[in-house]
Amino acid sequence: MELFRVSRDVWGQEVLQGMSWDLIPFFFGAGAVLILCHLVYRWLLAPKGQPK
Amino acid sequence: MPGNGADTPDGARRLVRHALADRLLHWGMAISTLILLGTAFLPILGIEFAWVTIHWVSGIVLTVLVIVHTVRASFWQDLRSMWVDRADLRNTLQLARWNLRMSARPPGLPGKYSLAQKLIHHVFTVVGLAAIVTGGLMMVKIDTPWWDRNPYWLGEDVFGVIYVIHDLAALALITLVMVHIYFALRPEKLHFTRSMFLGWITRREYNEHHDSARWAVDAE
Repeated sequence: MELFRVSRDVWGQEVLQGMSWDLIPFFFGAGAVLILCHLVYRWLLAPKGQPK
Repeated sequence: MPGNGADTPDGARRLVRHALADRLLHWGMAISTLILLGTAFLPILGIEFAWVTIHWVSGIVLTVLVIVHTVRASFWQDLRSMWVDRADLRNTLQLARWNLRMSARPPGLPGKYSLAQKLIHHVFTVVGLAAIVTGGLMMVKIDTPWWDRNPYWLGEDVFGVIYVIHDLAALALITLVMVHIYFALRPEKLHFTRSMFLGWITRREYNEHHDSARWAVDAE
C-alpha cells in the first residue's frame, strides 16, 4: 500500500501530491474499530453503574 | 449523589446547556465539515461532479464559523469549561481503577464537559485548524472573486507538504466524525445530543451527570 501520491515534473523529478487515497479504508476502519471496542467494553467489561 | 433532585418536581426543570448562538455555530460547523468531506471524497470514490467551488466556499464558511466560535468562547463564555484540569485527571485515574476492579468507588462527576468531550474537541481543533490553514494556502491555486490563481506563489515541494497535511487532516476527520456521531447516538448520551438541538437539559440530568461545584448552570 502506498502512503503518498506522487507525480513527475517536466524534469522527471518526483513531486509530492498528497496522501495516498488507499488510506481511506484504513481511517474508516479505525473509526469502526474504536466504535466496536467501545461497544464491547460497555456490553461486557464496564462495571455496573458506569458513570454516564 | 450530591444534591440529587431526580425525584423532586424540580427535577424536570430545564437548564441551559447550549445557547442558540452556540447551537447554530455547532451545526453550521458540522454541516460545512460534512460538505467538505463529501466534496473531498465522493469524487475519489467515483461519484464525479463539479466539487471545487462547493469545497472552497464551504471551507470559507467553516473558517468564519470557527473564528466566530473562538471569539465567542474566549470572551463571552467560560473558556475554562473546556480546559483539562486536575479534577479531570483525578477522575480518569479513578475511572481506570474502578474499571479494573481495583476500587469500588465510582469516579467523580465532570463539570460542563467530560474529559472525553474535551479531548475530542481539542483533537477536532488541531485537525480542523490544520485543514483550514493548508486549505487556505491551497486556494492560491484557484481563481476566486478576490484573486487570480498563482500556482507559483510557493514551490512545488512546499505545496507537496501542504497537500500531505491537508489530506491527513481530511482522512483523520473521517475517523473523528464517525466516533463523534457514535457517541452522540449512545443511549446514555442522548440528553447531550438533545441539548445540542434544543439547548437544555433537565435539573435531574444535571444532578445525575454533572458536579455542580464545577459547572454552575442557568435556568432556561
